[in-house]
Amino acid sequence: MLKKSMLLLLGVFLAANTAVAGEKVITFATDATWPPMEFVDANKQITGYAIDYMKAAGKEAGFTPKFMAVAWDGIFAGLDVGKYDAIASSVSITDERKKVMDFSEPYFRVRQAVIVRKDSKVKNLKELVGKQVGSQISTTGTFAVKAVKGIISKTYDEVGLAIEDLHNGRIEAVVCDDPVAANYALQNEKYAKSLKIAQVIESAEIEYYGIAAKKGNKETLALINKGIKAVQAKGIDKALQKKWIGQ
Amino acid sequence: MSENKVTIDIGDGAAIPTKKDRGLLSAWRLAFFGAVGSLLYLILFHPDPYLRLIKFLPDGILITFQVTISAIALALVVGLFTGLGRISHNPIINLIASTYVEVVRGIPLLVQLFYIYYALGQFVRVPDMLAAVIAMSFCYGAYMGEVFRAGIESIDRGQREASFSLGFNRAQTMFYVILPQALRTILPPVGNEFIALLKDTSLVSILAVSDLLRRGREFASESFLYFETYTMVAIIYLIITLILSKLVGIMEERMGNHGRR
Repeated sequence: MLKKSMLLLLGVFLAANTAVAGEKVITFATDATWPPMEFVDANKQITGYAIDYMKAAGKEAGFTPKFMAVAWDGIFAGLDVGKYDAIASSVSITDERKKVMDFSEPYFRVRQAVIVRKDSKVKNLKELVGKQVGSQISTTGTFAVKAVKGIISKTYDEVGLAIEDLHNGRIEAVVCDDPVAANYALQNEKYAKSLKIAQVIESAEIEYYGIAAKKGNKETLALINKGIKAVQAKGIDKALQKKWIGQ
Repeated sequence: MSENKVTIDIGDGAAIPTKKDRGLLSAWRLAFFGAVGSLLYLILFHPDPYLRLIKFLPDGILITFQVTISAIALALVVGLFTGLGRISHNPIINLIASTYVEVVRGIPLLVQLFYIYYALGQFVRVPDMLAAVIAMSFCYGAYMGEVFRAGIESIDRGQREASFSLGFNRAQTMFYVILPQALRTILPPVGNEFIALLKDTSLVSILAVSDLLRRGREFASESFLYFETYTMVAIIYLIITLILSKLVGIMEERMGNHGRR
């Protein structure tokens, strides 16, 4: 009896997940701690810019996106062993990463921003030599911190924890992607009063977010690319930018 | 005095080798030489990435030891007072000590770490290492308290009575008669707790303290070499705890503890 009801339950779940029959389901891993790009809202739903973007791309290209919350540390390992098809989690396209995974067309341009406390006089990351600077582990923010010799890099599991430590005065700055920095330092009720953005680093190389897929998974990437192109052609991305980032 | 047969076995440290393990093939030897052997093999025959890894990790190992040693020192002090509090005849002190133990034992260490670091961090600005040490010793102080209490209670009543009849007061009896004897039963479990604490310091990596595990995670997440990194981290932890458990075993023998058979 129990078995039967379990099977029934499983069936319901499966039916609910394959909303449109026959459409390919692409499972995206996302570290939903990166507002406003991807985060968990008050109703425990994964939401954000990237989520809306992939939903729109799915509608255009004919696939059903499914989102899975995965911790950032280890998100690439999970892709490698096939726990999900792709990563939609503000993954910046870098040469290092391209060696071990494939990327879709870029879907968002990003810069690294330096967040400090309101009373800080720091205008530039280079002024923080000898000080502790936080970032989320293995993000391009960490790479930017490590690129400046002499800064003591402190890596966190989530950027939110780094922001809290900055707020509490344990570290001098946090480096992260600019939309995330803006979300914390300008829009967040708690942090907007205590934090500010000191610098947006203009680097020679332009940094873009891409959807990461396992090396050689051309079929999935082709579908996603088709979706991204359609979203950009229709200007949906502009609307999403306005909705989530506000500029 | 030598009739004292009580042993306290608390803790989840590595198995402490006993006299019985004298044979050539013991679990300890197998684990230790296996770990050292594979470490050497990996470094010598696969220097990329293992040599790179071993060069990346030492400051993490240092932090792990720093946290462990500071926390155990603090935990011993807290534990002594807690243990004394737990056997105190003063109902208020007894209640405070017992409540502390109950509360600490009821909250997972990981949650305690988060609580002391992030929740209390809003009110008191504590540096990260210190916060980690305080959290670890707050937790282990309670365990140590139980070890001390059991150790003290294991001493025969006659010792106390004899001491009183010699005109010692309560404090003198405790510090000159009971505790020195209790030390013998207390030390092995303390060594055990030390090893357990060393392993639990891996939890502080969530506080962005750059211990061995976090250094490993940083390496793994940038090089994408998850298998290689965590193999290395596990081997290093294993070697450290095995050496420590051997030392605890030797110490136990030296203390002449005949209770453990």
